[in-house]
Amino acid sequence: MNGSELLPLRGGWSRPVPLLAALVVFAVLPLVLAGFDRGYLYQIANLSLIFVLLSASMHLVTGVAGLLHLGHAAFYGVGAYTAALLSSKLGLGFTATLPLSGLTAALVAFLVALPTMRLVSIYFAVATLAIGQMLYLVMLNWVELTKGPNGIIVTKGLELFGFGLSGRLATYYTVAVVVALCVVAIGRLSHSYYGNTLRSIREDDQCADAMGVRTVRLKMEAFTLSAFFAGVAGSLWAHMTGYISPGDFKFSESILILAMVVVGGLGSLPGAVIGALLLILLPEGLRGLGDFRNIMVGLVMFLSILLLPKGLFGEVSALDFARRHWGAAWRRTRGGEGIGWQ
Amino acid sequence: MIDPYYLQQLAIGLSLGMTYALMAIGFTLIFGVLNVVNFAHGEIYTLGAFAGLVLISAAAPPAAAVIFAALAIGALAGFSLERLAFKPFRRFTDEASLKSRAMRESTLLSSLAVSIVVREGLEIGFGSQMQSIPFAYLINTPVRVGPVILVTGDFIIFGVAAAMLVGLQYLLTRTRTGLAIRAVSNNPLGAKYVGIDTDRTIIVTFVVGSMMGAAAGILTGLYYGAVFPAMGFIPGIKAFVAMVMGGLSSIPGAVICALILGIAESMATTFVSSGWSDMVAYGFLIVTLIFFPNGLFGARRERV
Repeated sequence: MNGSELLPLRGGWSRPVPLLAALVVFAVLPLVLAGFDRGYLYQIANLSLIFVLLSASMHLVTGVAGLLHLGHAAFYGVGAYTAALLSSKLGLGFTATLPLSGLTAALVAFLVALPTMRLVSIYFAVATLAIGQMLYLVMLNWVELTKGPNGIIVTKGLELFGFGLSGRLATYYTVAVVVALCVVAIGRLSHSYYGNTLRSIREDDQCADAMGVRTVRLKMEAFTLSAFFAGVAGSLWAHMTGYISPGDFKFSESILILAMVVVGGLGSLPGAVIGALLLILLPEGLRGLGDFRNIMVGLVMFLSILLLPKGLFGEVSALDFARRHWGAAWRRTRGGEGIGWQ
Repeated sequence: MIDPYYLQQLAIGLSLGMTYALMAIGFTLIFGVLNVVNFAHGEIYTLGAFAGLVLISAAAPPAAAVIFAALAIGALAGFSLERLAFKPFRRFTDEASLKSRAMRESTLLSSLAVSIVVREGLEIGFGSQMQSIPFAYLINTPVRVGPVILVTGDFIIFGVAAAMLVGLQYLLTRTRTGLAIRAVSNNPLGAKYVGIDTDRTIIVTFVVGSMMGAAAGILTGLYYGAVFPAMGFIPGIKAFVAMVMGGLSSIPGAVICALILGIAESMATTFVSSGWSDMVAYGFLIVTLIFFPNGLFGARRERV
């Protein structure tokens, strides 16, 4: 047996599910949407993609690193406000604001994490709640910068190196590409050795600490990374809708994102994606229910904690999924011995 | 001589702090026993206020009946909340099998989910607008005390808070139920081994704590004259801050810190602006968590 059989070259066809998902997102869905030709459906599609990214970024911090984070929407808001301010005050385009808003959100998260990351369990949760509310108050009350409750109109739409992408289909594709890249990055990150180290912190941080894992530093990194992706989502949102206001980044949005991760199954990326789609599309599909939208979120969250404590995709099935489709931590090395869990 | 203006602000801050204290008493009681945050306490406060409002608009009864209705609804809500959101997730006996740290916060999430359902349900039933309380029931007749003007509600709320505090201290330190509550709060498994019915004790705690929360809701509703579905969120956060500052399981500590919080907020409103005044509470929370992990009135309990 030679080495090439131990290390099979896996083409795209051996990973049907992500390929199928990509096919639907990039080819089938735009055709269907164009067939209906209603801008509203594009809005829903873009919104769900953005929430997929938010949910995936929350998965990194809450699902993988086990930090209950109740202020995620605030970092999304920081990203959106950065994008809106940079484009309306300095005239920067989407290509510049996208990374900058991610970096700003990450910087804010880093500064916030410096003092709070030593707190554990419920104290951390409540500290993040307080920080989320503080950031929300800043958005609401720093009127000179953020225009307060009136919000900001973002004049620049999506564009790429000078090409305008503000058509429906182009906007959809831009959002889909950015979200897909970010989700793949989060997937690689959470199913690598690094992700497994974060899982060890989630399971028992004192034990991990005793084994030489630098828990506080790793938690800070996970928190900052997750805020980066939330900031990217915020930038997409700001350029896509063209108008942002503090109301979009309230505590209830944080809870919505948390519910997505919980419903999908803590610690599973496919679960986070499915949870986001479920909680955005289900209330939209049941439009007739109207006011019942938010109550549905609460009910779905409660029932999933009660009946499916592991979520739709528990950690174990998600690990199987990851093993099949990403396989980063499980792929055999050239020597033949596997690394990670077998 | 102090400027009467500042004395007036101090009085306003004290009465604000008193409304937080009302809420914080029940909150601290529940936290002290189960060591979990009950995120739905704010909704129990709202339910108490709405129970009072419904009774007022339906029958126009005497004020005492309104309070009793709120207390009854509070007791019922506390009982069902414990059954729905806490009992299914309570595993005193198999703590070791709860492997994943991520799942240990499930009661926090479930109480959060229940609070969303209750709040949105109230919004569907009553609309998200403020409902005003009929004038006859308001407790804001001005009373002049020296240079400052207080309202009757300040005295009523102060009296109720003091009565609650004394009653609760009596319950906790002089009765068998209180002894059981303290035993469960100290060591649930040990309490079970010496024959205390932990399940019943926890229900009693929830009922008592939720009655206090509901009473706080209706009193605040009568005091400010407005009731709306989202009214419980901010006082819930403030009560939590007061609890953390007071040292987690110390009820007098929570009351004192609620007063400090109220005064600090009213000063912030005076000197900065009202929009930023909520920042004070969040700032206090962060500072306390970081620098005084045992709270200002040091609790004996080790921090988890």
